Amino acid sequence: MARLNDDAQWIILMGFLVSFSFFFLALVINQSTVVGQTTAESVIEFPKNDIRDVRHVIGESVGIQYPNNVTVYEDIAVLSMNRKSSVVDYTNSNTTNPTYIYVHYNNGVTEYNENWTFY
Amino acid sequence: MVNSDGQLYTIEGFAAALIMLITAYLVVNATSVYTAGDTHINDMQLEALGTDALMMMDTPISSVANSSLQEIIEVDPVNGARFNQTFLNYINIAGSGPRHDIQFNASYTCRDSNNIAHSVPIIHSRELTGGEHAVRATRWVIVNKDVCDMGSTIDRAVLVEVLLWRD
Repeated sequence: MARLNDDAQWIILMGFLVSFSFFFLALVINQSTVVGQTTAESVIEFPKNDIRDVRHVIGESVGIQYPNNVTVYEDIAVLSMNRKSSVVDYTNSNTTNPTYIYVHYNNGVTEYNENWTFY
Repeated sequence: MVNSDGQLYTIEGFAAALIMLITAYLVVNATSVYTAGDTHINDMQLEALGTDALMMMDTPISSVANSSLQEIIEVDPVNGARFNQTFLNYINIAGSGPRHDIQFNASYTCRDSNNIAHSVPIIHSRELTGGEHAVRATRWVIVNKDVCDMGSTIDRAVLVEVLLWRD
């Protein structure tokens, strides 16, 4: 009577296990090339240059005499909101030779605050 | 003693379990879109290059001199040729040595008396069509000029914006 030959089934079972473990290893390698957020993307999104730039221009505006520095202050605040989608504010734009300046920057994700004191 | 009967059933069970696992994996994985790990490296480098070039253009040769970026904006009509020459040199499109194939579109933005921002074009190396994958480099500059028709020549802060893309 003909029946199914069930010799060497351990070898087939081990072959299955080895091939599936290779399959899972391939999945791991496949996943290593894709990521949700890349390091470069984080660098682009972090506004390092924006903050440095706004500090630079505020520092430059300190030397401008009152009342012209109020115009510059409004330029910085309005253009930051319009073109950079960020809220920029700083104090003491209405005096000449201020003794301190508070700098604030917020683009909705990153917030930056700094106090300058002049002696 | 270990009985070695029914091994084909074991293999069949393994196969069925793996089919279910793979199906679940594919279904869950299909709902999320991931980007390749190196997608943004070019953008990051281009943005850093543009920002550095603008920073160099905004650096005066002495504490009393104006920077070339200030002079480019203050000189009326808009001094695009000088911007072109300096910027192209700094980002290695012109000059000696290996060159980049970068296109750019430069403008500056100023505020009018109604607090509305206006963009004034400086120069571009190619018309923007909207299909470019551009990055933006910006630089604040304080200029002594009657920008946006405020009516008097005083110190004003304007934002220089450069869109950069590779073609």
